[in-house]
Amino acid sequence: MVSRILIANRGEIALRVLRACRTLGIEAVVAYSEADRASLPAMLADEAICIGPADARRSYLSAPAVISAALVTGCDAIHPGYGFLSEDDAFAEVVRAHGLTFIGPPADVLERFASKEETRRLLAAHGLPTIPGSGLLLDEAQALEEAERVGYPVLVKPSAGGGGKGMRMVRSPRELAAVLPICRSEAKAAFGDDSLYLERWLEDNRHVEVQVAVDRFGHGVHLWERDCSVQRRHQKILEESPSPAMTPAGRRELAERAIKAVVEAGYENVGTLEFLVDNNGNAYFIEINCRIQVEHPITEMLTGIDLVATQIRIASGEPLGFNQADVPQRGHAIEFRINAEDPAHDFRPGAGTIERLNTPGGPGVRFDSHAYTGYEVPPYYDSLLGKLIVWGPTREAAIARGRAALSELVIEGIVTNVAIHRALLSSEPFLEGKFTTNLLDRVGSAAFLAAAERAG
Amino acid sequence: MPEPNRPGERSAARTAARRQADHLGLARLSDTLVPALVAKLNASGLGEIEVREDDWRIRLRRPSGAPTGARRADRPRLASHGPTAAPATARASAKAPAEAPARLEQAPAGAEPAASPAASPALSPAVGVFRPVSAVGARVRAGDRVAVVDLLGIPQDVVSPIDGTVAEVLVQAGDPVEYGEEVLLVEADAEEPAGEPAGEPAGELAGEPATGDAADGEA
Repeated sequence: MVSRILIANRGEIALRVLRACRTLGIEAVVAYSEADRASLPAMLADEAICIGPADARRSYLSAPAVISAALVTGCDAIHPGYGFLSEDDAFAEVVRAHGLTFIGPPADVLERFASKEETRRLLAAHGLPTIPGSGLLLDEAQALEEAERVGYPVLVKPSAGGGGKGMRMVRSPRELAAVLPICRSEAKAAFGDDSLYLERWLEDNRHVEVQVAVDRFGHGVHLWERDCSVQRRHQKILEESPSPAMTPAGRRELAERAIKAVVEAGYENVGTLEFLVDNNGNAYFIEINCRIQVEHPITEMLTGIDLVATQIRIASGEPLGFNQADVPQRGHAIEFRINAEDPAHDFRPGAGTIERLNTPGGPGVRFDSHAYTGYEVPPYYDSLLGKLIVWGPTREAAIARGRAALSELVIEGIVTNVAIHRALLSSEPFLEGKFTTNLLDRVGSAAFLAAAERAG
Repeated sequence: MPEPNRPGERSAARTAARRQADHLGLARLSDTLVPALVAKLNASGLGEIEVREDDWRIRLRRPSGAPTGARRADRPRLASHGPTAAPATARASAKAPAEAPARLEQAPAGAEPAASPAASPALSPAVGVFRPVSAVGARVRAGDRVAVVDLLGIPQDVVSPIDGTVAEVLVQAGDPVEYGEEVLLVEADAEEPAGEPAGEPAGELAGEPATGDAADGEA
């Protein structure tokens, strides 16, 4: 087992990893940028070290700074969290070459799954259904040809990265020609790679993903699914498990196919397979995320398994230590992403000082956040302030706990998106379990909020 | 990755050969390519150099802009208990294993440097291992290299913020330093040099914790 981990990330995930280290008896060093000097993870860590300025390219995204920090603080492992360097196979390889353990899939596994377009074909060969799509796009003429073959509407997607950057849905050749250069430059800026491909766009789809964990010895389990259909411009806002859109038999089949395919394809460590589910309940594989995900806590609530600790143990070369039969899917869990952004003004991100913070509690309530009263939210990074996770024996019970917890949550001094969560919990499509990924964008979040207010 | 698209055919043998090639590539990279690129970057005045070769890509970026500057102990701490694991085993390079417990405000900074109020700190441009270049008493000009910080073996220059004399080296050779850490003090010349008022940066010494807007562009 590794004994001292450098946490090369910030915010709530740095704190989450720190907590896993504490429970495993592992020392934790937090690498922070100048903007995060007074952050909770930096203050709580066994040791903290400044690795660069606020600009992430020179701190959290700088492989030399991160590795140097690990070496000078005597760490034997690096946890990259999510985003930043977490799925960078070249980084993982250089970490290994410096005698350090990368907490995540080994470099060759990351490399094998680095291209979304190739991964789709690899896992299709191992039995996963995929959406009709194209190969990598070469030029406009070929892209238009491919789009005709796939059938409009199509989604233009970058082959690297995620988080909705560089993604556009288009309904006509004219639109496609117009967005291609935009998507290319966005993908280039976000991921340093401008390769794009097309996927057929499914109207009214749901986003369902399967959590997996595979050890070095090829022993793997799935940890059931998460439904992330509540989105805004391809950004998840609320996640829940089990998926209200799937039958018990359907979710078991999907999870079993997913784990079988990734074990056969040689995946290692924790990971998530994302699927789109159409309104007939057909699931299509879209991509794999080779990292811990923001929404992992709902899976932890249902299974009782610490996913970050599992990640660390697998990377340390230990066997998984449990079997599929040891992974229950007990009750229902919902995660609300609390962001520093204004839902009444097109989710404009905000920064400032949190003047007052009251966090909710009680049975089945978990609040993962790096925020504290007096915390100054820096303007340089993503707007995630924390995650409120609630659990109940049934979906109705979880929703009731969610309402109670949201009413206890007080964040003053900065604007947050809490209003959108309150609105969701009183909206018909959500309560009936019929939310689709495009619903919020189609209605418009301002209209959605207003409707919820009227419904009271 | 510029690989031919052959899904499902990425065999173990290919991967093994590839890894072997990667290791060789890495060795060559750190031995020859990187030092050469660093020299080129320093000579060119460019902010960044990127080189691609086969599947390898290396990007070097010059540290630009001034770190805001802080002593290690300036960081606020909250931990009320030490590490849950056994404290600091024989860890040669680990910095300050005996950090003070339970402190919300500032931890004790150890011996405060006895520098005159006219001294300006030179700041570390990177996280790495400190090596002094100029000794106490050396005459330096603003922008001169007074020390280096080894970032994975690549020396990064610590430059003097002002014309003057090295008054104190705050860090032992071989010790780790973090980005923005004050590593060396330069005392301004007693006589007034044309243009640059020597007493100006004195206030910096108060050890104000970095607040983001304090970047002063001195380095």
